[in-house]
Amino acid sequence: MTHLVGGPAATPAYAPGLWRPVLRRLRADRGALAAAVLLLAIVALCLAAPLYAARIAQTDPFRSNISGQITVNGAARAVIEDNAEGLGLGQTPIGPTGAASYLLGADSQGRDVAARLLYGGRASLLIATVATLLCMGLGGALGVVAGYFGGVVDAVLSRLLDVLWAFPVYLLAISLSIVAVGSGLHLGPLVIDSGNPLLPAFIIGLVGVPYVARPVRAQVQALRRSDFVLAAIGIGVPTPRILLVDVLPNVSSTLLVLVPLLMAINMLTESALSFLSIGVQAPAASWGTIIQDGLALLYTRPLVALAPGLAIMLTVLSLNLLGEALRDALDPRLAGRRS
Amino acid sequence: MPSFFQARPLAALTLALVCAAAQAASPAANDPHRGGTLRLLAGSGAGTIDPQVNYTLQFANLFQSVYDGLLAFKKAPGTAAFTIVPDLAEAIPQPENGGKRYVFKLRSGIQFSNGRPLTAEDVAASFRRIFKVSSPTSGTFYNRIVGAPACIKTPATCTLAGGVVADVKAGTVTFNLLEADSEFFDKIAFPHASILPADTPAKDVGVAPVPGTGPYQIASYDPKKLLKLTRNPHFRLWSADAQPDGYADVIDYSFGLSDEDQTTAIANGQADWKFDPVPADRLPEVSQKYPQQLHISPLTAMYYIAMNTRLAPFDNPKVRQAVNLAIDRNALVKIYGGSRLATPTCQVLPPGIAGHEPYCPWTKNPGKTWTAPDLERARQLVKASGTAGMKVLVNSNDVAVEKQIGIYLQSVLKDLGYDATVKAISSNIQFNYIQNTQNQVQISVTTWFQDYPAPADFLNVLFSCASFRAGSDSSINISGLCDQGLEADLQRALATGITDPKAAAAQWAAIDRKVTDVAPVAVMFNPKRLDFVSKRLGNYTFGAQFYFIYALAWVK
Amino acid sequence: MIRPLVARLAQMLFVMAGISVITFAIFFATPGSDPSARIAGRNATPETLAAVRLSFGLDQPLPVQYGLLMQRLFITQDLTSFMNRGEKVVPQIVAATPVTLSLVAGAALLWVAGAGLFGVLAALRPGRALDRGLMLLGLVGVSMPVYWLGAVVNLVTQSRFHDSWLFSWVPPLGYIAFADDPWGWFKVLVLPSFTLAVFYIGLYSRVLRSALIEANQQDYIRTARAKGLSERRVLLAHALRTSLVSVVTLFGLDFGALVGGGALLTEVVFGLPGIGKLTYDALQALDLPVIMATVMYASFFVVAANALVDMLYAFIDPRVRDA
Repeated sequence: MTHLVGGPAATPAYAPGLWRPVLRRLRADRGALAAAVLLLAIVALCLAAPLYAARIAQTDPFRSNISGQITVNGAARAVIEDNAEGLGLGQTPIGPTGAASYLLGADSQGRDVAARLLYGGRASLLIATVATLLCMGLGGALGVVAGYFGGVVDAVLSRLLDVLWAFPVYLLAISLSIVAVGSGLHLGPLVIDSGNPLLPAFIIGLVGVPYVARPVRAQVQALRRSDFVLAAIGIGVPTPRILLVDVLPNVSSTLLVLVPLLMAINMLTESALSFLSIGVQAPAASWGTIIQDGLALLYTRPLVALAPGLAIMLTVLSLNLLGEALRDALDPRLAGRRS
Repeated sequence: MPSFFQARPLAALTLALVCAAAQAASPAANDPHRGGTLRLLAGSGAGTIDPQVNYTLQFANLFQSVYDGLLAFKKAPGTAAFTIVPDLAEAIPQPENGGKRYVFKLRSGIQFSNGRPLTAEDVAASFRRIFKVSSPTSGTFYNRIVGAPACIKTPATCTLAGGVVADVKAGTVTFNLLEADSEFFDKIAFPHASILPADTPAKDVGVAPVPGTGPYQIASYDPKKLLKLTRNPHFRLWSADAQPDGYADVIDYSFGLSDEDQTTAIANGQADWKFDPVPADRLPEVSQKYPQQLHISPLTAMYYIAMNTRLAPFDNPKVRQAVNLAIDRNALVKIYGGSRLATPTCQVLPPGIAGHEPYCPWTKNPGKTWTAPDLERARQLVKASGTAGMKVLVNSNDVAVEKQIGIYLQSVLKDLGYDATVKAISSNIQFNYIQNTQNQVQISVTTWFQDYPAPADFLNVLFSCASFRAGSDSSINISGLCDQGLEADLQRALATGITDPKAAAAQWAAIDRKVTDVAPVAVMFNPKRLDFVSKRLGNYTFGAQFYFIYALAWVK
Repeated sequence: MIRPLVARLAQMLFVMAGISVITFAIFFATPGSDPSARIAGRNATPETLAAVRLSFGLDQPLPVQYGLLMQRLFITQDLTSFMNRGEKVVPQIVAATPVTLSLVAGAALLWVAGAGLFGVLAALRPGRALDRGLMLLGLVGVSMPVYWLGAVVNLVTQSRFHDSWLFSWVPPLGYIAFADDPWGWFKVLVLPSFTLAVFYIGLYSRVLRSALIEANQQDYIRTARAKGLSERRVLLAHALRTSLVSVVTLFGLDFGALVGGGALLTEVVFGLPGIGKLTYDALQALDLPVIMATVMYASFFVVAANALVDMLYAFIDPRVRDA
């Protein structure tokens, strides 16, 4: 993907204090409300994962239970049942039980899929959030610096961004992940273990930097030429103050709109990396790893692959809807398109 | 072969009867099943098609009907395939000079697929070439030939002078060994000792086919798409046991499909046999719908957990015993596909290898077979070792079965009280990665399939000090065990094997028990081979040495 | 005109060189990347290992290895794989290209048609039920992981409903070349193209719609309306043309990225031996020559597409030309 859904926002200059009409517009948008409720519900469910696993399902979603037994409707059944048909080869994990335990059935290690789904949501959301924050911070900073200072600084940073931008996204992510999964990350005093979920977050964040830096840079360049900034420079306001007071607030609306959209992209990227086995590592769960587990069971227990995919879709959908609504709320001219 | 049968009718009839009795061996020229195209599948090509360099099961299976050695493993079903029969040589020679000299008499009239007649010079050149191309086994299998040490040191100038002496006029090749070797014939029958034309380039041929003497020749090879075998026009049957003629006229070995798609292709009749295993979620389906197209055969192989005896916590024997006691081998068998496809085991030697005597100390009621895990005793051992709470990283590869085993093992280690994590790395690099001590791998999941049916191929290769090389990607003694007492036992058994195989078998059994007790590894199960073939495929023959004997299968 | 062109070209080369160096560095930083032991075979002696390393040239210092790699890839074009000895890399890329091109072209046709239809329909009456419905559908399309969608498609067409009249025409996974069987080639590509197109239909229909609406509100459109032109004529004749510019440039960037191997996940899920799958397999196998070749191939298309798009913009919008 080379751009975000719907394109970059327009850039009127807002002084702080005009957020109330934005919130008002957001509240009036029914689609946005529905999306927000859905997102909150998903987040709440995922945060409640330990509660669900301990109290309701009473299973340990990270402990292999291949030879385990459970009682369903009074009958004892094996969690992974041997196949008795024909030559009697292979075995199949138990399907959806409809009971509190193993609600959606078991995976090939005999673990409760529903519990793993919730824990997986935690991991996916956490990684996407951290990656987005990283993206925003680094990308925003680079964009501001490159756009404001211009000249050599801009040239160097732009070339770096070009290389990062042109590097086929998945290749970069895959290559970095293969190395990192092998030996972890060592950046001076900062050491991230190869099993740590922050590692894929770091990589996804890094890969997403150009998505943020480029539009921010373009906007800051325009701002730099605007009357009020030139005036501020003219009267000798120190640069840090200009950046803080004049540039950042205007850039913040762009960044804000990018947050949910970038979250959505990062969630998809994380799931793809986990699907390729270079994101979250076993036995930890993320929606991508559960899909991967599910693909090995696709012919016998398709629900294991379907459920996390649906979860991703609903989450990303609500994030996209929110992002659209936010953009429309921030720019009333754009909002005019809606009605 | 036509002229032979017409000229001597009685002999022909007897031969035909004998052949028929030996389970439909080599097809006659007018056999109705002769002809057609056999379609084989695999996920990818297995690397180079140089028979002296390639060291994979997949292509060893391929080479059996393309190349010949002086001796061969009999193309017969099951463990009859472990018998060594004369191939390019007329007979198996008697050992001379205390087993240090063998004289092979070459059969006459054999030609390579390019028309060149086979001579003793080709044999000598082929053995020199083993060293020149740095064959994987040049230093381990063929290092006892006179002149070999010099060849290993400087392969480019390898002459093997005095080691392999060819007499072209007499048609003999004489082997002189530095010391007697009870496995010499196995090594001569091994694909790395295939006889190739003397003018074959002295470097890994990669994708360029080399002419051979077998009933098929490699017509083309694209490792990503297809390997095509056609009939060798210059092949004449000389021994149905060693090298039978083939039924199919053309063999298309296609690459690129995933194991799921391969299974679908066979089920739909679009292919005849596949190398890769049937994925776990298709087993119930094929078991139910196509039971007649499934063949299960035992293998002399093992899936095992290698524990680094030089790294904590596995330097403590109590911990290694605990792992052996804690793993539920039934669960592991389930992961592989069920009790019909694998058998739990505690010991190193698999059934079918000389010296195998059932022995299992790592179970609830120690004795001959494994019954159940003993988690209680395992936990006690871990507590006694004082290593509980340590960080342990399990290393497995990303092949479905081994990946699941890795995840399960991590769970077991956690139950035992360790801070355990698991990492699955690409199967392309994992095998060498876990061998290199620089990578500090504590515990790993891996497999071992025999080279040839000798107990030394398991016990000596995997546990002798010579197989351990610090800091090298090639250090097959992954557990790093080096015990001088064991070394002496190994040498003694090897020496005894030269003169008294029965006594040697008893010695190997004792070594097997000793190694199992020391527990540098935790052997999980002996897998069986499941072949899913198409409906039209007939006369499926599985030889325990090279597996599916495709030459003997017909499609018409 | 020449100077900016040359400058642009130089920039492209710089970026590609940078990418090649980073790829090279990442490869050598990866533990277990030394192919010698893999090639040398199991239980190889140290001498064997050393001999194999020598034959790969892995004993040379890194910059020399890099130089040799680049030379063999671009100049003499006889670069061979680490995994399959003797197998040339460039012919692999050449063989994989038509597969990716077929897939991407098919998907592009589908998504241009689909997005065009949806976008125009939605923009005709903004805010109404059709608009909202189509946009929601588009959003759903954008929110699905493509490999998951592919897996679901496979589940339905290959497994569950394969025997039904609806999907019995679906061929087994894999690729059939056009030269071998044109009808088979088409059948093989239908579902993968559709799967790949879903995401882009969702994306482009929204982009087109908002671009159309924005253009609709521009002053000169209001003028055209005031002059009495019909709504449809206004939309198709004026608004569409200006909004097409941004859509076309976006299309160029996306198409470029996909041709270079961006459809990696789709190819893997459907078993199509295109550039994406080649790249993925090479990364799994840590086959540096093939990795380098595919990364160069992919980045070339991305960089070229970017350059073309920028030049197109400069051509169309005089304001940008001076920037």
